[in-house]
Amino acid sequence: MTEATDLAERAGDRDPRIGLRAVSALRRLLEQLEAVQVRSARNRGWSWQEIAAELGVSRQAVHKKYGRQ
Amino acid sequence: MFERFTKDARAVVEGAVSHSERVGAETVEEEHMLLALLDREGSRGSFVLTSLGATGLRESLERDLAEARRRGGLSRADADALSGLGIDLSEIVARIEETHGEGALESGKRGGNGRRARRRPFGQSAKETLTRALRVALARQDRHIGDEHLLLAITLRGGVAGEVLADHGITYRSVTRVLYGEDGVAEAG
Repeated sequence: MTEATDLAERAGDRDPRIGLRAVSALRRLLEQLEAVQVRSARNRGWSWQEIAAELGVSRQAVHKKYGRQ
Repeated sequence: MFERFTKDARAVVEGAVSHSERVGAETVEEEHMLLALLDREGSRGSFVLTSLGATGLRESLERDLAEARRRGGLSRADADALSGLGIDLSEIVARIEETHGEGALESGKRGGNGRRARRRPFGQSAKETLTRALRVALARQDRHIGDEHLLLAITLRGGVAGEVLADHGITYRSVTRVLYGEDGVAEAG
């Protein structure tokens, strides 16, 4: 039995582990999605300021995170 | 830290760097260490992997790793957990790829076209694997860190590489059984 199916089976038991795993997965997914969207906006010539405004964070925060790329 | 590594363990670390370079990853990660482990011959780690049938599973292992990478580094268990929230990860991947091209969500991909000749840094997962290998060796009172400790660390860490291995029947328990002829109930690290 794989860990994946094992986890899936426990989903119905309100096992906290499955909920926590989902949150952690969501967080990692979010990071990847953000990177994709920021990259795309930059390719379309958006400024860091414009991207930051849409994301609801400071320009410095976005630039620090993605500026090197 | 590396002075206690055996020749084979060092070869895995170096091999991991090569694998990372080959796929154009930004960092060296645990999955690159696993691929390097699968390359080894005549080492303790490769003995275990061969005993557990990994040589015949290589293609399947690589496919699963590539699939996880395409999902943004999320494992199958992650996908299942998300579906418990009503989130269809494969649907998200499909939509993103539709708009941004195939492999857009791929984890650890180099952004832009910066071809920097700098040394590849070790990512979080690889660092954790190395630290855990050290702890596993200490717990077993082994004086050196061999590639079998790296393999044990991967199975213990519960990351994507460990999960892909587990899906192929290679777990901490099965590895310790081959190595030490015992059940790995008491988890080290």
